[in-house]
Amino acid sequence: MLAPYLVGLVGLVLFPAAVTLALAFTEYDLVNPPSWAGLANVSELVTDPVFRVALTNSLVFALVAVPLRVLLALGLALLLHRRSFGSRPARVAALLPTAVPEIAYGLLWLWLFNPLYGPINQLLRVGGENGLTMLGRTPPQWLTDPTDARAAIILMSVFTMAETFVVLLAARRALPADVYEVAALEDATGWDVFRRVTLPLMAPVLALLVVRDLIASLHFSFVPAFVVTDGGPPPYATTYLSLFIYRTGFEYLRYGYAAAATLVMMLLTVVAVVVQWRLFRRYRAFYRL
Amino acid sequence: MSDADLTHDAGLTLDGVSAAYRGVTVLQQLQLTVARGELLVVLGPSGAGKSTLLRVVAGLEPVTTGQVWIAGRDVTADRPGRRNVSMVFQSYALFPHLTVAENIEFGLVVRDVPKAAARERARAAAEQVGAAHLLGRRPGQLSGGERQRVALARALVREPDVFLLDEPLSNLDLALRVQMRAELRALHDRLGATMLHVTHDQTEALVLADRIAVLRDGRVEQVGTPDEIWHTPASRFVAGFVGSPAMNVLPGSGPIHPSGAPPAGMAGDREIGFRPEAVVLGEPDGAAATVDRVEVVGTDAYAYLTLRAGNPVVARVPAAHRPARGDAVRVGVRWADTHVFDATTGLRCAS
Repeated sequence: MLAPYLVGLVGLVLFPAAVTLALAFTEYDLVNPPSWAGLANVSELVTDPVFRVALTNSLVFALVAVPLRVLLALGLALLLHRRSFGSRPARVAALLPTAVPEIAYGLLWLWLFNPLYGPINQLLRVGGENGLTMLGRTPPQWLTDPTDARAAIILMSVFTMAETFVVLLAARRALPADVYEVAALEDATGWDVFRRVTLPLMAPVLALLVVRDLIASLHFSFVPAFVVTDGGPPPYATTYLSLFIYRTGFEYLRYGYAAAATLVMMLLTVVAVVVQWRLFRRYRAFYRL
Repeated sequence: MSDADLTHDAGLTLDGVSAAYRGVTVLQQLQLTVARGELLVVLGPSGAGKSTLLRVVAGLEPVTTGQVWIAGRDVTADRPGRRNVSMVFQSYALFPHLTVAENIEFGLVVRDVPKAAARERARAAAEQVGAAHLLGRRPGQLSGGERQRVALARALVREPDVFLLDEPLSNLDLALRVQMRAELRALHDRLGATMLHVTHDQTEALVLADRIAVLRDGRVEQVGTPDEIWHTPASRFVAGFVGSPAMNVLPGSGPIHPSGAPPAGMAGDREIGFRPEAVVLGEPDGAAATVDRVEVVGTDAYAYLTLRAGNPVVARVPAAHRPARGDAVRVGVRWADTHVFDATTGLRCAS
């Protein structure tokens, strides 16, 4: 029964991972056979300013985008968990951005971000004069200013939180109704109920989702940066680890060096998985009511 | 109960309360008064509307008609938190992430009682129910009986006007249920609080209650002391529901003809009811019957009989003198031990 899964796991995950591990210590351009390079790739990574920028970008992206995504998903889940008028279409709407194919999603945002006729900036200019916003400031230069471009990628990623939303929706709906009735009988305010009941009861799920999203953020920053900002604007404002690896491997044909960078990414993932595992163990007692 | 008995100044008054659940009316024009300091048990089968009644009092379900009065206040339009009631849920509804102490003081903390005072009152409440040694634990580390105590402590820490208890003992094993039943009664006597206790367990109702309200299909069938409910059931339903095995009910015209002087009002279509312990086996001019099976419960035995006419009858006999399966017996009963009901309405005929 497990055989197909095992074949897939070995052929598509473990074998490539092992090859990557090996290639990380070689010089390989996809044409000539790989030659042993020892720790040269690793020591080059340490001093490579572009790699350092990419690593920083990835970490900053994760630290900003992940909390925003989880907060949005939590807010929507708490708003929409009840059956009320309009909650069904709203749930579907929350799912849709994730269902759009990634490249199409990127192209759509390319239009949304357009500084002249893009709807976002048109909206921001409402009430302002001479192409400025109502507050008299220049609207964000989404595709040309380094900071604004980073914000653009984060903005794009915030709306594709459907999986987190669905899990939180299910988690909220699985919470017992009676504890909320106790809270109602004690006249707890909405804020007290959220702070003292909902949030602690959902904390285990939230913690696991945050870690999961941190891992995923290493990957889902790739397509927006590739399609919308092309890793720029200079200096490498939206070049994330995944894009750095892609460029190094497939454009500059430095496969061994890309493999070494991939190892760093895997290392980050492993750290996150360990954290997740520990959280899971800690909360297992919590779930066993 | 007549409307004349209804006072809004009681511990709890339901005045013409109807309630619906998913479009189906589950409480119909209910009139019920619980005196201050009284423990009233609402008894009824599943689906009679017992839990809905409790939730209407708590404000967790809206009324469709009528008013709810608590300690002289009309709370019909008030939200649950403004009614000053505490509820013990069948599931206990403890917060799994809070310690026992935090669970008990929850209602005080969200009402901005200072932390130290809340902790002190929580400890006192826990002592009342014998849960003081559990304060530092979490619900997941407690047994069913301990959770029960914590839920009780949480209910009484705020000193509410009315306690609502929704089948609080039904999740406990029998021995613990009997023990907690006694403790609950003692707690009530100590606190002197108004309590509304819902159960489907007739023994619990009989043992615990000052008065019992028997609920059937959203209507109050009878309100009375346990003695009244047992000795003068107001209807065939009450008679059949209270008592185990249930009361025997046969047509008034036979096949059993009770001995002694019949009560007045036996004219018309009547049914007679008598409890298993009233049945006399071996009555020479009794009705003929055969024994289907015999259940022995300690010193007593219950003989399940079928009369020749086909009606089933249960008799309680001393275990030492029980008949055997298949025996032919003669069954009699005295008029003094029977209840007479109108066959059409099922209501008790005055005797």
